Order: sequence, then structure tokens, then C-alpha cells
Amino acid sequence: MKQYAILLDSRFCTGCNSCFYKCVQENRLHDVAANGNTRTVVQINDEGMYHQRCMHCLEPTCVDNCPKKALTKSDYGPVLWDTNVCIRCGTCVQKCPFHVPMLDQEHNQIVKCSMCAHRELGKDEQAIPACVQVCPTGALEFGERAAMVAKAQQMAKAGGMHIYGLEENGGTSMLILSKADPTAVGYPAVDKFKAGMSPVAMGGTAVGVVAVAAAAYAGLKKYSARRTEIAKDE
Amino acid sequence: MNTHKKLSRRSFLKWTGISTAIMVMDSPLRNFDVAYAFGEHPQEKPRYLVKKKVPQVCARACECDCHYDIVVGVDQVTGLERALTIEGRPEDPVARGKYCIKAMGFVDGMYNPDRLLVALKRTNPKRGEGEDPGWITVKTEDAVNEIIAKMKTYSRDEMLFACPGDPYTNRLCRSLGVSRSDQRTECFGTHYYLNSLMITNPPNKYYSSTYTVTHSLWGFDYSQTKYMLWFGFDSFSKTAKAGILNHIVEGKRNGTKIVFFNPVRTPLTDGMADEYYAIKPGTDLAVALAMIKVIIDNKLYQTDFLRDYSDAGVLIDVATKKRLTDAQGTWLAWSNTEKKAVPVNTVKDMAFDGGPFTFDHNGQQITAKPVLQLLQENVKDCTPEWAQQVSEVPAADIDRIAREFAQAAPTVCIPNLKRDAAGPNYSNSWRLMQSINILHMLTGSLDHDGAVLFLSGVKIPWLEDVDPIVKPYPELPASPADYRDQFPVTDNIYKNKDFSAPGHYGMVGHGLYHKKNIKMLFFRGPHRGLFALIQPQMTEAAMMDMDLVVDWNLYPDDNAYWCDYVLPAPHQYEESKLDIRQYYPKWPCLVGGDPVQKPPGDVIGWGKVANMIGMALAPEYWTTDGSSDPAKLIKGNMYDPALKAVGAAETKAEFMKDKDGFWIDKKPYENYKTIREIGYGRPDGRVKMYVDEFAEVGFDGLPTFQPRWTSPEGEYEFSLLITRSGWHMHADPNFIDNPVLNKLSEKNRVDCVWISPNAGKKLNLQNGDEVILETNPKHMPELPRPVKSKVFMSSRITRDDCVMLFHGIGHRSKWLKHGVWGYRDGDLIPQKDPAICKQHDPTGMGWVEDVYVRIKKA
Repeated sequence: MKQYAILLDSRFCTGCNSCFYKCVQENRLHDVAANGNTRTVVQINDEGMYHQRCMHCLEPTCVDNCPKKALTKSDYGPVLWDTNVCIRCGTCVQKCPFHVPMLDQEHNQIVKCSMCAHRELGKDEQAIPACVQVCPTGALEFGERAAMVAKAQQMAKAGGMHIYGLEENGGTSMLILSKADPTAVGYPAVDKFKAGMSPVAMGGTAVGVVAVAAAAYAGLKKYSARRTEIAKDE
Repeated sequence: MNTHKKLSRRSFLKWTGISTAIMVMDSPLRNFDVAYAFGEHPQEKPRYLVKKKVPQVCARACECDCHYDIVVGVDQVTGLERALTIEGRPEDPVARGKYCIKAMGFVDGMYNPDRLLVALKRTNPKRGEGEDPGWITVKTEDAVNEIIAKMKTYSRDEMLFACPGDPYTNRLCRSLGVSRSDQRTECFGTHYYLNSLMITNPPNKYYSSTYTVTHSLWGFDYSQTKYMLWFGFDSFSKTAKAGILNHIVEGKRNGTKIVFFNPVRTPLTDGMADEYYAIKPGTDLAVALAMIKVIIDNKLYQTDFLRDYSDAGVLIDVATKKRLTDAQGTWLAWSNTEKKAVPVNTVKDMAFDGGPFTFDHNGQQITAKPVLQLLQENVKDCTPEWAQQVSEVPAADIDRIAREFAQAAPTVCIPNLKRDAAGPNYSNSWRLMQSINILHMLTGSLDHDGAVLFLSGVKIPWLEDVDPIVKPYPELPASPADYRDQFPVTDNIYKNKDFSAPGHYGMVGHGLYHKKNIKMLFFRGPHRGLFALIQPQMTEAAMMDMDLVVDWNLYPDDNAYWCDYVLPAPHQYEESKLDIRQYYPKWPCLVGGDPVQKPPGDVIGWGKVANMIGMALAPEYWTTDGSSDPAKLIKGNMYDPALKAVGAAETKAEFMKDKDGFWIDKKPYENYKTIREIGYGRPDGRVKMYVDEFAEVGFDGLPTFQPRWTSPEGEYEFSLLITRSGWHMHADPNFIDNPVLNKLSEKNRVDCVWISPNAGKKLNLQNGDEVILETNPKHMPELPRPVKSKVFMSSRITRDDCVMLFHGIGHRSKWLKHGVWGYRDGDLIPQKDPAICKQHDPTGMGWVEDVYVRIKKA
């Protein structure tokens, strides 16, 4: 299945927040948004426009840490939240390195972008998220992640821009092109690494290697000792 | 046989141990996910089911008038069928499939529980903010009849309609012979009047729209132009105008160069400015005049355009300042070869400079000069170096930009609409607007593909066109509350050419407060009331003693504290519409809208209000035969003729049914065709640099520099900058009474006043501190009302001598559950004394940002 991503060209984001309100209407989030809990919102900061929204990590920390597996990474890109399974423990809120999921206690739900999965992304080739559809300047673009990455890299090279989301937390399905340093704009400074090379995964791998080596050493030692005993017996 | 089995100690321990082990162990299935088939995850399920899509035209969010569909469906959460959101219509040449946050806010506004659905009548005579009017509800038609009964007791000099100039308001005011004044002065005034005086020459065959301000040239070809100058055009409010943004960005992607002059670095600046200059507020005129000088001195202008379509070569009598004409009224120009004055349309070797030319004209010895020569003399001292001293924009840049702009002609433009530097912001804004129009003329960019686009080929008629009056209207009041009579330049347009011309809202409060001759004030809301006024405290004070105050509105807003009646109005999406594409008139186009729902409750449409009052007080203007027979009531069908004229449909109903509310004729744009059709001297129309009307009232007919009205004095050192968030307008409760948008405002510090970090440091302020802003009492000697707010320090305010406020907040109506928050910018801006105003500005506008304030920690 194709994996999708959203590319934001920050140069053309004017902070109009049409994406924010379209998301509210599309997902009927008026009640939680009135509490200040949003799936996507643009903050007009001094250094640029900060989009606070789920980055849809390739290796989502929220998914890894959810004790009930209420959060899952779909094959086609979005990280989805299951209201039927979630126990509202707030672990995802605490663990997300991008500080994105919000727990609306009044309405008992986690508020986090679904990339408008209900629009049949991955099934309907024409389907795009509501925020992308409404953006009056076309600053938001939706497509296959590989194509979005290639486009971002090309534009970054041509325009001297930063790309946020290539390696942040192992790469994300939300990519941001920015003339200013994204962390100065408001995006969190998170660990950067390539997918599959996270420090945690790599840590686990190291432990495994040591264990295997130790087992091999122990086995060989046992084998040698036994051979010695046999030799003595002989 | 004893079958009872005893549990041995061993068995007890065994089973207890096993049970405990099972209990403490996680389920062996614990790590199996809840599996959903593709598309079956709860977040893959839609939250609503679409039932229908209703074409609409945005009429109040801004002037773009985007065409889109309102999506009606069943909300899965509530199970109710209602309008849910909007979907774009890619075929609309303005919006091109886009729409904005305000349009979406309007959708939810239809269901706002604070919306007024019945007529309210006051029982407590004591008015004022916070007072309980003792509302009782009455049948709306009964309320209108009671209002009519009272109106019968007033003379026409004692009534004022605070209403925009729509067809029904115009007919009502004209038939009753009463004045109309409206808020557009503070938003559109200088653009409107200068365009009328220099270009559109009202009335004309195109510029009149049912829903938007006429004679505003909003059709900038952003996506095709090569070079743009933005004199404060990029206010925060522009960051959400979908109807222009989609074009601007296309242009930017295509390589349009944009130069920004603005003391605020807006989000548009971040992404789209090729060059940005933190200009000193109110000095844009100096830069524009210096550019004119560079272009004229170096003969960088478009000679063909000036010769064929402008008055650049037309002769002005240096003694009388009057334009010279022949016996037929045709303008005269000087022929270099014939050495004589000849009709401008026949001269082939027109003199643009030189002179003075002395010759015999109608038996008199005349000395005259061409307009362009006079202009060059006017700007002779306006060097880039001088402009740098005034504006703090480097001289070398001004010189270079002027040359680049001229070289890119004619596909260049200087977008201007509403509250940019040429809006009624400063006492010299009218001169900036004149200079912008002249820069467009020098570059031949008016009525040109890729530059400033003009309407053609389509018009929605006015009420008078489809239901002509049978006898002349009565005279209008000689001394109206807004002092229009003291400004003959604009009064002539209003009385004799276009009754929709903006009223003098910048002075009407002063007139109401000081003249005290108005007994009835009728607001046609929404957002035409107090929060659209500068220094509303004057109008509030005047209304305390007024006999009758009425508001026709969607909500009981601030006005209600002073109103005797509040009549419930329909929501804009409950109205039928037909509109032209004035924001992008590249092709003749008509778009239509159908009501999304029947207006609920006891709501009354404005046409019906006007019909009822008209038939009661001046029936001869409201019937087709001049009688008082209700069966002969005018029909007011303005849509069918407009559609028929272009062959789009026979009727509006047919247009909506068969054409889905859309018609366009995508013929190639014919450069300069509309100028010929509507300009001065039509059918061989031209545009005017020289404004005779200014000369007639003692001002120069061509621009000269004049400083702004106010200057910094002592602690009153902060120049007031007014902007508006992309999701607000005039404190319209559709937006300010929306708790979702309120949270967005908080997040973006729209509830704060913004100053530069340096200014904040100097004042020893921290973000979030409460501050009090106070206008220099020298310029607001009566009824001052300081503003209290939190402060936010932002490097987006690029000058330390400015403070930026957000317009569109600051409601006080207790009938709005979520609406009462924020400060009101208008409290700081003085209503203008006409005696002062006419010394500086023959158009008599509001000078909304010509204010210096003091900032103190609260």
C-alpha cells in the first residue's frame, strides 16, 4: 500500500487558520476546539507559522508507548487513535516528542489529527485531507510520501530552505519546508535519526548482540569444557 | 455414600497458586491488537453524511464574494441535518475552489444560540451600557408598524439611516428624503471617491453591484502581473482573503516581484516579500511622489497610454486652474506641430510637457500647461533623498524601485482596497490614492491584462432600473448629521451620481453629538453599528436622548443597549443572491446563490422592512404606477434582467436549476476597452490625473505632499496601527461570539496590543502585562475612553514608535454568551470635527490611524 504524507511549504502559509476551522467542521470538533484542544492549528509566531499538529511519525513514539495499543500506525501513513480501546491514560500526551496529542477531559477524548483517514485515503486516489483541500494558497500538499520527500528536497535545495520531518523522530508523514530554522519558528527540537535507526531500537539491538555473543561464548566454553572432560576420560 | 469431596490442604494450595499465577500474569492475548479491516477503524468513518450542496455567494465576509457550495448533511454526533461546512467551486474565477475561515464561521453562525429570532422592544426607558432594557418580544411586523407610526411624527431632517447603500436602502432614503450614512467611509472611502473622480466617472454601465461597494477597482491580476508595490496592503486581514490569496500565490510562484512598505511584518511579508521596508506610518505618500518624479523626469512613462487614454496632455488654465474644453466640452491639448490647442482625441503630436502655452480661447487670452507638466512641477522637490528623510525608506531603493516598476509596465500594479495606507487612515491618504492612480496611469496598467482589471460586459441593475420612479425624489436634508453638505466634492457624487457613495461615518458621531437634531437613528446591521464607528462614545452619548433607535440585526449586539427595537434579520446564507466578479473581472461572469434554509423564527428581510416603511410613508415611490395601491407594489426583480441581458437564463430560478448558478464568457480581455466605455468623455473615455473637483474647493488638482494630521508629542509617541485577524470583522458576532474562534484568538494573541520588543523594554513591560492606551487629548478633547489590554511584544512590529491593535473585537453586549471580550480600537480614534477635516481632506474621510497614543502600565 502507498504511504502518504502532507508537505507544508511555509512560505505560502499566511496563518489564516482556514485549515484549523475546516478540520473542526470536517471532524465535528466544535466542543473540544472550544476548550482549546485542536487537531491542527497555526500559531503566528515572530519567526514564522508554527503548525501544531500530528507529525504522523514513521515510528510513532505514541504507538510504541500506548499501553492498550489504542494508537496504531496505518500502512498508508496516518497514526490513528481508537476511541473504543483507549483508556485515556494520557501516556501519548506525555510521550509525544512533538507535544501534539491533547486529552480533552470534558469530552473524554484524545484530540489528534487522523489525516482525514475517513476520506478514504489509500482507497480513493483523489482523496485529500480537508486541511489540504481548504488551504487558500496551496501551501499544503498531499501525496505519496516518497514523492513529497523528493519534492521537498528539490525545493529546499533550490530555495535554501530547511526540511523538518525527514529525520525528526525517525521521519514523519508531515513534512515542513521553512526558510527559517523550524525550531526557531516553534517546532520542537527532537532527536533526529533515520527510520529503523532509533536510539531505543539500536539500544535493543546492542543488547541482543551482546546476549547472542555471551550465549555463543558460554556455549563454546561449555563445548570446550566438555571436550576437555571427554579427553580426560579417554 | 458420602460423595462430598473435601479439599485437601495440598489441593487448596495448588489451585490457589495456579489462580494467583493466572491473575498476576498478563493475558497471553494481551498483545494482540484490535484488528480492523481497511476502512473500518473508527477514525476511518465519516462524521457526517452529505445530503445536498447549495450554491451560495459570500456577501459579508469581505468583498471577494467567493462563490461556493454550502454542504448540508446529517451530523453523526447529533443526528441533526444542518449546514455543516463549505466546498469550493473551482469554476469561480475569483475563489477558484477556495474559501476562507470567515465563510466557514458564517456556517456555524446560522445556529448560534444567541441569534435573534424575534423582535425585541424596550420597556425600560433608561438607556446605556449595562442597563437592562426590559425587553419584551413582539411580533416583528407589529414592531415595524409601531416604528412606522413613530416615524410619521418626524421630519426628514430628524431621521438618519446608518445603512450601506444597497438598492432597498437607497430607495427608502430617497423616497423619504432622509440621509444615509454608513461605515464604509472608514474602510473604502478614499479608494471609492478617488476612483470615482479619476477613473470610473459614475454613473456608468458596469460599476454598480448589488452586494459590494460600487466604483472600487478591486480587480488586480495578481497571478499574471510582473511587479507589485504594496503600500500597507498586507494587513493581517488580508492573510485570510481566499479570493485574492489564491491569485497572489500563483503570481508569486510565477515570479512576480512584490515590494512591501509597512511598519508591520505580516505573515504575507515572511513568505512573499522580495523587498520589505519598515516605512514610517503615514509617509507612503512621500515614496509615491518620489516614484512619480523618477518616472516623469526620466520619461519612463507609457506615452501611448497617456496620449490615448488619459488627460496627461490636457491643458489646464494656470490662472483659473480649470480644464480647457471646446464648445462641445471636449478636453483640449496642445499640438506641437500645429502650435495650437486642439481636441484631445484628434491631436497626434500631443505636448505632455513644456509651456506655458499662451493662446486665444473663446476670445480670451489664456495661459495653460499640460497636466503632466503641472504634475512634474508639483513633484519637483520630491526627490528620493527627500522621500528618505520623510519615510525612512532609502533613497537609492526608491529610485531603483521606481525604475523597475516602470520597466515592467504595463503588467504592474499597486493593489489597494480597504484599510491599506491609501484607505482612510491618514489625513493624506486621499493624496496617496490619487498618486497610486497616477502611477497606474504612467505605467498604462489600468484596464490591462496582467495589471488592473476592469469590469465589462455584465451588470446587475439597480432597483430604479427595473422599477423606475414615477416622479422625482424629494430633496435630501440640507444639513445632514454627517456633514456631507460641507464636503461638496463627495456630496455631489452622493446626491447626483451614486447614492451608494460611502457616508461620512468618521464625522457622523460628531454630528449626532453636537447637532442634536436627529430623533430617529436606524441601523441596518449586522456590523454597521457602534463597533464599526470610530469614537463610538459620541454616538452612544447622542443616543441617550434620542427618541427612537432601531437596529435590524442578526444579534442583539452593543447597539441594543440604546435601541428601542431590535428587529431580527436573516443570515446571509438564508438569502437569494446574484453577483458579478468584481474582485477578478477578467471575464464577464455571473454567479448565483440559493437560500440554504428558510429564515427561522419571526425574521424579516430588509426588502420587506423597506417595503413596509416605504408604502406607509411614501407609497408613490413604492408602486409601479405611483399610487398607494398595495397590489401595485414594485417587484424589485433585479436578477432576471441581468441574466437575460447576457443570455445566461430567462430567470434566476432557471439559472440556479439549469446552470447551477454559474455563467461565464471566457473571451480574451480587451485592454483599455472599459476605459473608453466608462471614462471621462465617453464614448472615447479617458482617465483623469487632474481632479478638477479638488481645484474647485481650493486644493491642488494634482498631488502634493502633505504631512499627516497628528505628530508625536511627549508621551503620546506611539503611532496607532489598526489591523484585523483573518477570522474577524467589525466585531461581527458570527465570529466574536464563536468560542472556537475565541480560542484561536487567544492562541494568536489577538486579544493583546502589540508593540516592538524594544518599545516594551523601554516601557519596562513583560508579555501579558496590562497596559492602558490613551489618545492625545489635544486631538480627542471630548469623551475620551482609554483602552485597557494585555500587551504582547513582537518583532513583527518593526518600528519602536508604533502600537498595533486588532479591530473586530471588544464587544460589550451581555446577550452574547461568548462575545464579551477584548478591547475596542475605535474608542481611541477621534470622530472628526468637520472644520478640521476640511482643512486637510476634501473627501472628509475618517483618518482612522492618524492617532498617537500613550502606553502606560495599568
